[in-house]
Amino acid sequence: MKERLSRRTLLRGAAGLGIGLPLLEAMMPRSASADTPLAPRRIMFVFQANGDQTKRRFIDTGETSFTFDEFLAPLEPYRKDLLLLNRLDRRYNKLPSNERADGHQQGGASLAPWKSGEGAFPIGGADQSIGYVTGPSADHEIGDRVLKDNPGVSTRHLVFRVNTRENNIWNVSSHAGPVGQQNPVNPETDPYNAYTALFAGNTSDPVAVAALAKRIAMKQSALDNAVAEIGSLRAKLGAADQQRLDQHTQALRDIERSLLAVGGGAACAPMPFSTPKLNVFDDDQHEELGQLFFKVSAWAFACDRTRSINFNWSGNTSNRVYKKLGMTDGHHDISHISDDEAFAKVRVIHKHLWEQSVTLHELLKATPDGTGGTLWDNTLVVHWNELGQGDVHSENDALVVFAGGAGGHFKMGRLLDFQNKASFADMLVSCFHYMGFEDVMSFGDPLLNTGGPLPNLKA
Amino acid sequence: MSNAEYRNTMTDLLGDSPATQALVASATRSFPSETESLGFRNNADYLGVSTLVAQGYVDAAEQFLDAIAANQTFLSCTPSAGAEMDCARTFIQNFGKRAFRRPLTADEATQYAAIFDKALKAYDFDTAVRTTAFAFLQSPKFLYRVEFGAAPAGSAMRPSQYEMANRLSYLFWQSMPDQSLFDAAESNQLSTPAQIEEQARRMLRSTKASRLLEYFDEWLGTDTLPTTFTRDATLYPNLDPNLVPLLQQETRAFVTSVLSRPEGNLSDLFTAPYTYANADLAKHYGLTGATGSDFVKIDAPGRAGVLTQGMMLARDKATRTSIVRRGLKVRLDVLCELVPAPPPDVNLTLDTTNTASLTQRERLEQHRTTASCAGCHDLMDPVGVVFEGFDAVGRARSADEQGAAVDTTSTIAHTKDANGDVANPAQLGAMLAKSEEVRSCYVTKSFRFFYGRDADPADACSLAQLSQSFKGKAYSLSELLIALTQTDAFLYLPVQSSGSP
Repeated sequence: MKERLSRRTLLRGAAGLGIGLPLLEAMMPRSASADTPLAPRRIMFVFQANGDQTKRRFIDTGETSFTFDEFLAPLEPYRKDLLLLNRLDRRYNKLPSNERADGHQQGGASLAPWKSGEGAFPIGGADQSIGYVTGPSADHEIGDRVLKDNPGVSTRHLVFRVNTRENNIWNVSSHAGPVGQQNPVNPETDPYNAYTALFAGNTSDPVAVAALAKRIAMKQSALDNAVAEIGSLRAKLGAADQQRLDQHTQALRDIERSLLAVGGGAACAPMPFSTPKLNVFDDDQHEELGQLFFKVSAWAFACDRTRSINFNWSGNTSNRVYKKLGMTDGHHDISHISDDEAFAKVRVIHKHLWEQSVTLHELLKATPDGTGGTLWDNTLVVHWNELGQGDVHSENDALVVFAGGAGGHFKMGRLLDFQNKASFADMLVSCFHYMGFEDVMSFGDPLLNTGGPLPNLKA
Repeated sequence: MSNAEYRNTMTDLLGDSPATQALVASATRSFPSETESLGFRNNADYLGVSTLVAQGYVDAAEQFLDAIAANQTFLSCTPSAGAEMDCARTFIQNFGKRAFRRPLTADEATQYAAIFDKALKAYDFDTAVRTTAFAFLQSPKFLYRVEFGAAPAGSAMRPSQYEMANRLSYLFWQSMPDQSLFDAAESNQLSTPAQIEEQARRMLRSTKASRLLEYFDEWLGTDTLPTTFTRDATLYPNLDPNLVPLLQQETRAFVTSVLSRPEGNLSDLFTAPYTYANADLAKHYGLTGATGSDFVKIDAPGRAGVLTQGMMLARDKATRTSIVRRGLKVRLDVLCELVPAPPPDVNLTLDTTNTASLTQRERLEQHRTTASCAGCHDLMDPVGVVFEGFDAVGRARSADEQGAAVDTTSTIAHTKDANGDVANPAQLGAMLAKSEEVRSCYVTKSFRFFYGRDADPADACSLAQLSQSFKGKAYSLSELLIALTQTDAFLYLPVQSSGSP
């Protein structure tokens, strides 16, 4: 807290006295700056939808001798940096029937393994409408903890989704909580916006710097005013409204931190995207849009703007038509069919998405970290899906793929079969431990955990 | 505020014009879509200001500052050297009243004058105007509708005059009050139910009332068509490239016509054997009677109001109609029923090898012989098959995708009072239109959208008042809107005051 206030005081001085922002940057404490040589650990969740075909994931399932079947084949070049966690159980059918929806909704909220509330959608609950899950997701919680420990990091987490515009109980994977509250985090769907929000302040042009200082002063003044007004309103309102206002205050604090986050060390070299802009809701451009989000993600890590990212190739239940792959029906529609022809299509779609996802691996490998290595060395990519297999909406049989150097935390190069005896939430506990939060022994509803982090993962 | 409310409010604040509308549309283009709840995107419980939303408000407001600084309604004076704050205070009163949708308190005027003064000293008058306007636009008093109420009326609390002006304007216009409402509030003319009804009728006649069509867009789901409508070009060749906007305009024009007639009622909504089309849409449907680009009323034999409009039928799949989705839409949003989720680990396939030669209807019938499937599919499928006489882009047809003659006869069951045999959509529509379950559903949907929240147990009386009024006015859609201003929920505050963003 003290840190934040002192930085703000400096900024006000800068606006008034005309001190350039680059000087400010040098004065700001940044955990990624040259005097802190240890690279921070980062985590990025990468989601693809509708389940796959469980028996076609692997040909050989040996712990180190594993071989990929067709749709996972794009992962082969990365095998020494992979930890394949097969057959995790999400366990949400252990929840009472009024506290969970179907596999797409509850499975799509796997990063937030809490029971569902009520009141948002008339499909699911046995005798009441079902709501959003009632607690935070791992990307949010990890980001929150990172912020508390690292005043130099500006952004709690980034939540990105390709194409899908609507935000409903089916397609939102990030949740802010707190526990007991429905509070979905609607994702950024525009990579251009994401870029601007993070990096608009990165300029060395003196005219731009002066203009920026003026704009920041204006925004700072408005944010201070709004926070003060919220404070006085809050006292007069009921508990539910107070929670809403607290969230608003937190959002204003988040923006304030972003306003002040400029520069970011030698490894921080974001490049504005070339025009013309893509249509962000055009399914036929999902690959290109995903690449843009990956670039923003890599820069956000390299500049230490955030250490937690939740990226989604689509919403859950995605019905994108993969026309370039020769498909005529939507992905979700195809995934509900159990015949060979449909499974062949499911495999083609998943192979395509894995081919797209591994471009993130390449980008992380190619982006310097500022500590001599690359982002890949100190990042954990967590690939996941809302279902095991689509046609049966399976809550178990989840495949999670850990990828990256992950700071040497995990013993990579292995396939582990959990036989549905450990849970998806246990896997999230392992993610907290990787990020340095080893006090976390359970995450989410107790019914969805089996106890502690997944066994046998660490190096 | 919902995104629609924000856009409308900014448009009216800056002065409605095509240029303003374009500016607001551009500045708010990247606002994230709101969290959906019970079919609507304006439920205050789900409209929290997250970081992304707050960032959107910051970025958008910057783009309005030129227009605000150039607007003489706000800046009605010229600053004179050394006495800039005199003019500043005029600006703060003018702009602040419109931004907060009520006069500023003395403390607020002082507070914003301090913001102005500080920016004036650091920069210049123009920057101070912008800085102050920007602060107003980030204020919770602009972004939320906060109500504290006036003096207690018996055991309940009434909204203040300005709060009532806001309740009315956000109900009918999804936006801030106009000058007439401000004047009425100023002169205490928003006190009695009769005064409020008089304003309501004036507002419903205004062109701004077209903004309440957002209700129908969200209720019927026409708003999501641009991102959900995909059709296989081989099976559906030569579709009009503008089909989605045409379908959206069809429903808007149709609903507008029903609302514009005092007697336009629920029965028209579900049974009308006519629709609205322009030449392009009529051509798509294979109907006649429309020649220009304007939407006009045309005969549509065999159709049944919104139930058979293209936007309703367009929730199908890329390659075929979806009996299940069509039935589900009616179950959820016309009957307000709950549909349980498929049981865990159920085999959902319809396309097994031994049924490949069957029609979709036949395959679903077979599907329903499995008890675990029948539980839900008995709710959806018998409703959905009634629409099989229309293809996946809303055109009348006599044969289905496999060439089999369509069969639209069905027996509707598991409703409270709309069970029975129907032969076609017109008969289904007639049955729905006289169902108490459907009427009650329509009232509930209207309550949710126009009050921006779900009904809670304390609203039982208001819902009963609405149902009573609806019946008393022969289920007139426009009269129900008026009735929404006469309930306890509208005329009084709950015991605990609340703010709605």
